[in-house]
Amino acid sequence: MEKKTFGITLRVWKQEQGEQTGHFEIYKIDGLTGDISFLEMLDILNEKLLKEGREPIAVESDCREGICGCCGLVINGDVHGPDEHSTVCQLHMRRFKDKDVITIEPFRAAPFPPIKDLVIDRSAMDSIIKAGGYISVNTGSAPDANSIPIEKAQAEKAMDFAACIGCGACVAACPNSAAMLFTGAKIAQLSLLPQGNPERNIRVLNMVKAMDSLGFGNCSNEYECEAVCPKEIRISAIAKMNREFIKANFASEQ
Amino acid sequence: MNFKYIVRMPFSSIGRKILMASSGLLLALFMLVHLGENLLILKGESAYNGWVDLLLSNPLIPAMEVGLLVLFLLHIFFGLWVRFEDWKNSRKRNYEVNKSQGGRTIGSATMLYTAFALLLYLVYHMIHFRFADHSMGFYQMVTEAFRDKFFVSIYVLGALALALHLSHGFQSAFQTLGIQHEKYTPVIKATGWIVSALMILFAFISIYFFAGFDAKLQYEQEKVLETVIE
Ligand code: HEM
Ligand code: SF4
Ligand code: FES
Repeated sequence: MEKKTFGITLRVWKQEQGEQTGHFEIYKIDGLTGDISFLEMLDILNEKLLKEGREPIAVESDCREGICGCCGLVINGDVHGPDEHSTVCQLHMRRFKDKDVITIEPFRAAPFPPIKDLVIDRSAMDSIIKAGGYISVNTGSAPDANSIPIEKAQAEKAMDFAACIGCGACVAACPNSAAMLFTGAKIAQLSLLPQGNPERNIRVLNMVKAMDSLGFGNCSNEYECEAVCPKEIRISAIAKMNREFIKANFASEQ
Repeated sequence: MNFKYIVRMPFSSIGRKILMASSGLLLALFMLVHLGENLLILKGESAYNGWVDLLLSNPLIPAMEVGLLVLFLLHIFFGLWVRFEDWKNSRKRNYEVNKSQGGRTIGSATMLYTAFALLLYLVYHMIHFRFADHSMGFYQMVTEAFRDKFFVSIYVLGALALALHLSHGFQSAFQTLGIQHEKYTPVIKATGWIVSALMILFAFISIYFFAGFDAKLQYEQEKVLETVIE
């Protein structure tokens, strides 16, 4: 059976490398079916543009299975698109219908300088992790299973926070460009595990300091981050980080 | 000596918010007490003036006033600092299609506007009540002020701004202080709504006198008294 196809109009942000600003370019694309993904739709468009000798749209993606965190876009004002708690690569064209006009913008936040078109520089988030989002004490060779007992519920909670893929959607959705959800997730994860314990005080102080100096904003508890996070990190991560901060600041040697 | 923990408070994002949140909650507590005092005015001149006299006879009042001023200054100073930073760090170009992702509320999105409204209201309140001529007695001063249309409008707007400010601020402050738990957060949120709703009673008091309910009440009472005497 012949599949029914449909066509849409795209308004895509175009910005040359090194330019301060850009503009929206209009593209029309036909012959789409609902079961191709949003990124595949952009692939089809880019191939068509190449064939016509026009410049393709610069857009980032890697795993296309929702785990690498580099496909972030703002689609019709929705961070990571209209599906709740999902990444752009998991979005399918069946969410749209014939003659839809779709506006595609890059993540916008002061600490995420634009590179080209829809591609932005998210390395400020790596700098936050570099400030302490790891364990640097020597933990020796792999211990026997169950030699460090961790309660099941505790391990599950740590895993929930560890699910963060560093996509930056929380920053893009935040009116203050705050990276509290991202930073909180890492701090909460490590503070729930015995391996993270020795460095927990210095970790939270250093990571918060890095976050502040990199130009991420303060938290006004708007909860926009929680609403868009593809990995459903909850704002309990931020509360946990704040508790860790209070403890480290007032009750530790630091 | 290690003073880093003091320096970290004003000079870190979380430290500043902790100062804001704790001062904000203490201010909210003051507002509740102040509301309780103000409601006494509905009981009449002797009840209200009696309370004010008792209050002012407390030798600790001047010190407590200074404490309150410090709370306000801390809250205002850090609130504006936080918001200035956020403005500086916010996206340089806004989204073409700009919409809430579902987390914001009217209260949270208007925090800065209600903040400035409250600041103006506070200054107005201080000029007309705190630094005014108290010789006619507090009851007279307040009730007479509330006969004025402009004055009452300011009070109604101020009370609404306060209610809106706290509709977000109350639960936000607990989250900032790290007090967030699936058991208690719903209770905190509900308490926040109740506290916000109570703040509207400030507006009610001013409207009560503007509409002349006190005079009507007095008239009714006198009539009842007359019939009893007859
Ligand atoms: C009657 C007085 C007031 C009370 C009871 C009050 C209470 C609060 C509370 C509880 C918060 C939440 C803190 C948090 O999110 O952690 C807050 C936030 C805020 N307040 Fe007030 N406030 C009052 C007056 C003011 C005034 C006069 C200003 C400034 C001119 C102000 C500026 C702010 C700002 C800007 C925020 C939001 C800060 C942010 O989270 O980004 N407030 N207030
Ligand atoms: S907390 Fe969620 S939205 Fe933020 S970077 Fe991690 S996965 Fe992305
Ligand atoms: S491409 Fe890896 S998360 Fe979307």
